[in-house]
Amino acid sequence: MNMKFLPGLICLLLGNLSAFAADLAAFEQANHEFHADQFATAAATYEKILATGGPHATVYYNLGNCYQRLGQYGHAILAYERARLLTPRDPDLLANLALARKAAAAFGDSGEHRYMDAAANYLSRNEWSWLIAGGALFLGGLAAACGIGGLPRRSLRQTAIAAAALALVGMIAGTAALYHRRDEASHGVVLSDKAEVRLSPFEKADSLGSPGVGRTVHIRDHNGGFSYIEVPGTDLHGWLADKDVSPILSR
Amino acid sequence: MVALFSISGRFHKLLKPVVVGFMLAACLVLSCKAAEVAAQLDRNVVPAGSPAMLTLRISGGRASQPEIPEVPNLMVLPRGQSHGVEIVNGNMTTSATYTYAVGSNTPGDYQIPAIEVTVDGKKFTTMPIKLKVLANGAAQPPPGVAPNAGGAPPAGGGEPDAGDKRFGFLTISPVAQDRSYVYVGEIAPVRIQAWIPAGAHASLRSGIQPEGKAFTLHHVSDRPQQTEEIKDGKRYLVVTWYGGISATKAGKYPAALSVDVNVAVRDTAARQPRRRMGGPFDDPFFDSMFDDMNAPVIQKDVTLKSDDQEIEVRALPTDGKPAGFTGAVGDFRFDAWDMSAQWRTGEPGQIAARLSGTGNFALMNAPDLTPPDAWKTYPSKGEFTPGDIASFAGSKSFQFSAVPRKGGPQDVALSFSFFNPKSGTYQTITSPVKKLQVAGQDVVEDNHAVADSPVKEPAKKDEDYLVGQHPALSSPASLVPLVSRPEFRWLLGIGGGLCVLGGIIAWLRAWREDPARVARKALERVTREALATAGRCADAGDVAGFFAAARLAIQHRLGALWNQPAQAITLADISARIPDESPVSRFFREADRHAYGYQSAGGIPPHWQALLDDALAYLTAGAC
Repeated sequence: MNMKFLPGLICLLLGNLSAFAADLAAFEQANHEFHADQFATAAATYEKILATGGPHATVYYNLGNCYQRLGQYGHAILAYERARLLTPRDPDLLANLALARKAAAAFGDSGEHRYMDAAANYLSRNEWSWLIAGGALFLGGLAAACGIGGLPRRSLRQTAIAAAALALVGMIAGTAALYHRRDEASHGVVLSDKAEVRLSPFEKADSLGSPGVGRTVHIRDHNGGFSYIEVPGTDLHGWLADKDVSPILSR
Repeated sequence: MVALFSISGRFHKLLKPVVVGFMLAACLVLSCKAAEVAAQLDRNVVPAGSPAMLTLRISGGRASQPEIPEVPNLMVLPRGQSHGVEIVNGNMTTSATYTYAVGSNTPGDYQIPAIEVTVDGKKFTTMPIKLKVLANGAAQPPPGVAPNAGGAPPAGGGEPDAGDKRFGFLTISPVAQDRSYVYVGEIAPVRIQAWIPAGAHASLRSGIQPEGKAFTLHHVSDRPQQTEEIKDGKRYLVVTWYGGISATKAGKYPAALSVDVNVAVRDTAARQPRRRMGGPFDDPFFDSMFDDMNAPVIQKDVTLKSDDQEIEVRALPTDGKPAGFTGAVGDFRFDAWDMSAQWRTGEPGQIAARLSGTGNFALMNAPDLTPPDAWKTYPSKGEFTPGDIASFAGSKSFQFSAVPRKGGPQDVALSFSFFNPKSGTYQTITSPVKKLQVAGQDVVEDNHAVADSPVKEPAKKDEDYLVGQHPALSSPASLVPLVSRPEFRWLLGIGGGLCVLGGIIAWLRAWREDPARVARKALERVTREALATAGRCADAGDVAGFFAAARLAIQHRLGALWNQPAQAITLADISARIPDESPVSRFFREADRHAYGYQSAGGIPPHWQALLDDALAYLTAGAC
């Protein structure tokens, strides 16, 4: 059994290594194209890496830079937002995202809960999730250890209680942050400055207005090539063609 | 009969491709209708300071916003735009008309260059148009002379007829306006309806235009709605647009709109009485239907004009006008604003803001940066995003550069003043304050210092501040957060399971190490050992040993019950707490007797064994 399993595992590891090496070569080539001002070619190469190698934070960031240079601010903001899911505190990323938003005149919500937003956004939703899961595992492990070995010494007991309290606080904070950001799974970015919100999910339906390129919108529904969106901070809501909006978490 | 159906079926099989081919050909012919772009001036000679009206008409497709090329000393000001439809046999073709006021304060001969317009991705250009601007006081074109000498003659022939409602009419009604007056600069949303007689063929020859110069028409919806309605017993096709009108000066003016239409209707008044020829249709019942079909068709260029409605236009009050008021009329609020985090005196930075609301966004300028003496701002770039079909509501984003004049900590905000026509008052709104630390020393300035040398012009584009590429490829990861994946539930389940398991183990440990339970177990063990010793002594005939061991077992039992050391319990204690007739007392007396003198041999009599059993049962029953 082991003799059959081992070659398979080795093949899998080698295959992964080979794919990563190919992605690395393509990544360096794309960076070279970017520095040669071939932004469209570089963007295509980055897109290819993402299609074959899965999401990479640096690839999304560099892709956003390409679109920024091409003046496609909607695509740039989308790429930066995806990178932010993976590296939420990267200062370069935050600076370039702010530039793209400014260039597109696409602002976020005015932010009624500024401090709450700042605290909840300090970690990504993935990191908050891991904090909750880690806290749960730690509390479970601590309970099992206490059950099996007991806590004979007072100092040990105090340390365990403090650690358990810390884990519990982390879990509560993570749950509150995820609840505060519960709508983000439905966030999308408007890709075209000519995108028009329509009354019905048809190309010839009446136009209700344009949300503006790069604008973050809530995607509520999907129907035959159209997404029902709400533009935060405005009363504008209706159907937007799928080509004009893309969810930050891919479809 | 069967043969007839068979022939009919074959006929249909033959007819089907013919019909389909005919429909395809018809579609092809219809789709091949070329887009048209035409520009014309309503006059070719104007005095200096007076404008001529330039009309740019685009039909046959969706067009980009036209850009009029710049000509030195020639002013071109947009005066409105409208979008229309051409309805022929139910087929609708869109068209757009842009109107500009063209003129100059400098006399001379001008030429408006070819205007380039992109229609459905194809580029079209108009012919260049000449305009002669005369010096003030020079001879004007005499009245009655067709002002448009270079324009195309009206199609269809004849003078436009504005009064004949046989060809339709135009109505204008306010939308949700609860006042009988408007303010200068205010946009009043209106509903504009063209009533075309049902069955008529109509095509719009112009966009909707305001009559007179007191009002300006804004944001006419480019996709009008079509309905059929009956008015005064007649059926009409009603084409409805939404837009807004605004006045440029105070006073009382008639407000009316007009649109040039080419209409073809059957002239039922001119129909001839049908001659009776006999036959099944020779009945007065069919007269109306056949007479309508026989009526001649009249095609005419008409101007549909709405009835004049006098509207009072009030000037904006001078009292209470804020210093920063630049003409915005409506109701606005700050949506968001942002500015660079790093500032240094004399160095420009970018500021962006977005305001939303309802009103005249065309008159809206960028908000002011406060404190004003600490900043110099540069002209802004604004972009309007409509929020409704008539562009009455929406938002406008501004971007502008600013240079700090003073260093140190600052509380910076934006302020914006507007006139609210609903309340009839000026309002000034302020954005949330941002706290900044401006590096550098105060800019020493005279009146022009900041505008001139010490300050760099904000020429650098945002892209130049872009942080560069990351050189190292990061490891792949999932965009979907753990909380949205099934593993999250598994991890929480494992954590919860471990907690439960730890609790169970801790409870088991506590149960096992309970001192009362341990003491009880020990008592049972020593009692059991004592009874076993007694049994062995009984088997060996050792009477003294039997009573000593049995006495010890009873002492252990009593010690546990009375919570006393077993060896300290004497017959006196037992007599004091247990009746003398009880098997415990009797056995203890017998045991004492054997321990302190009475010696017997020859084995243990059965009644002693029975007495011991009774004593143990008595204790187990809890009688003491």
